[in-house]
Amino acid sequence: MYFLSRTQLITALGAVLLALTVLELVRRRKLSEEYSVLWVIASMVIALLGFSTRLLTWVTHTLGFLFESSTTFAFGLGFTVVMLLYHSLKQSRLTIENHALARELALLREEVEALRQGRSDLPR
Amino acid sequence: MTPGVLVVIPAHDEEESLPRTLAEVRASAPWARILVVDDGSHDDTAGVARSAGVPVVRHPINLGVGGALQTGFRWACTHGYDIVVQLDADGQHDPGYLDALLAPVVAGRCDVSIGSRFVSSTGYHAPWNRRLGMLLFSGVVRLALGRPIYDTTSGFRAYAKRVIQVCQHDFPKDFPDAPLLIALARQGFRLEEVPVVMRERTAGQSFYTLGKQLYYPYKNLLASLMALIRKPV
Repeated sequence: MYFLSRTQLITALGAVLLALTVLELVRRRKLSEEYSVLWVIASMVIALLGFSTRLLTWVTHTLGFLFESSTTFAFGLGFTVVMLLYHSLKQSRLTIENHALARELALLREEVEALRQGRSDLPR
Repeated sequence: MTPGVLVVIPAHDEEESLPRTLAEVRASAPWARILVVDDGSHDDTAGVARSAGVPVVRHPINLGVGGALQTGFRWACTHGYDIVVQLDADGQHDPGYLDALLAPVVAGRCDVSIGSRFVSSTGYHAPWNRRLGMLLFSGVVRLALGRPIYDTTSGFRAYAKRVIQVCQHDFPKDFPDAPLLIALARQGFRLEEVPVVMRERTAGQSFYTLGKQLYYPYKNLLASLMALIRKPV
């Protein structure tokens, strides 16, 4: 096993550390399995590229990057974009669900008030 | 027989202007029921409405005008109303026009009637940036539907039961204007404009404020495009 630069080694070790952190967070129930998937995949791919110089060089030449370091950065950036998009999607859905819940709560509260006051305009 | 008409008043921090609006609606349309949707107010909007003897649905958080209206639609559906009128709490909309607004819906000539400032000269003056926006979106609607709707931002409308039933499940949350009109027309609902005169608001602010002025055209253009190209629900 050989490394092209010290940066490559640091990147590879960093990726392993990230994967371990993510798994530890899942173990402590701070991070749900669902949200850990992308993180684990991302750190594993980066670690793989970091530890296998042959693979890194091959990917770099195949995709036409000028430097190996660019390949690692590109993958990292790619995952970041996917992750952000995923969170935006999730957040949009949560907003919709949150609003629906608020609406139901509001309607139920009004119904309770109507029942308490013995009003006649109850839902049919 | 007058069909069951529910006047839905979305209200966000409107304790000052609400009592007068409620009194006016009662005076001009004693046959209509009123529902106030308190959209997460920090003032005593709900209390004011209650002491006027009007049912209030109180949102725990602010859902926006569209969100409040959708709540009104849900309430109208479960309580069996035939027509919902949307009317602002700030006194901009003169309940004296309720009859005129309702007439085409009651007669079955259209499914949504829009109280419009621009069908005929009604003496409405807006600042240039709002006027530009209104011009833009009435243009967008004309492009999308092949026919003009002059007052796309009017919040004074009447909706027939069929529309309410669809809209209780799916409704734009912040501003129910150009995109909504396009979506409704694409679902086969007939829209009609009724000339009305609108007044200056008595209190509160326009929903269309500073920070939103940049975001609003973007959001509305995109939403209009989506309303045009996505499959009607």
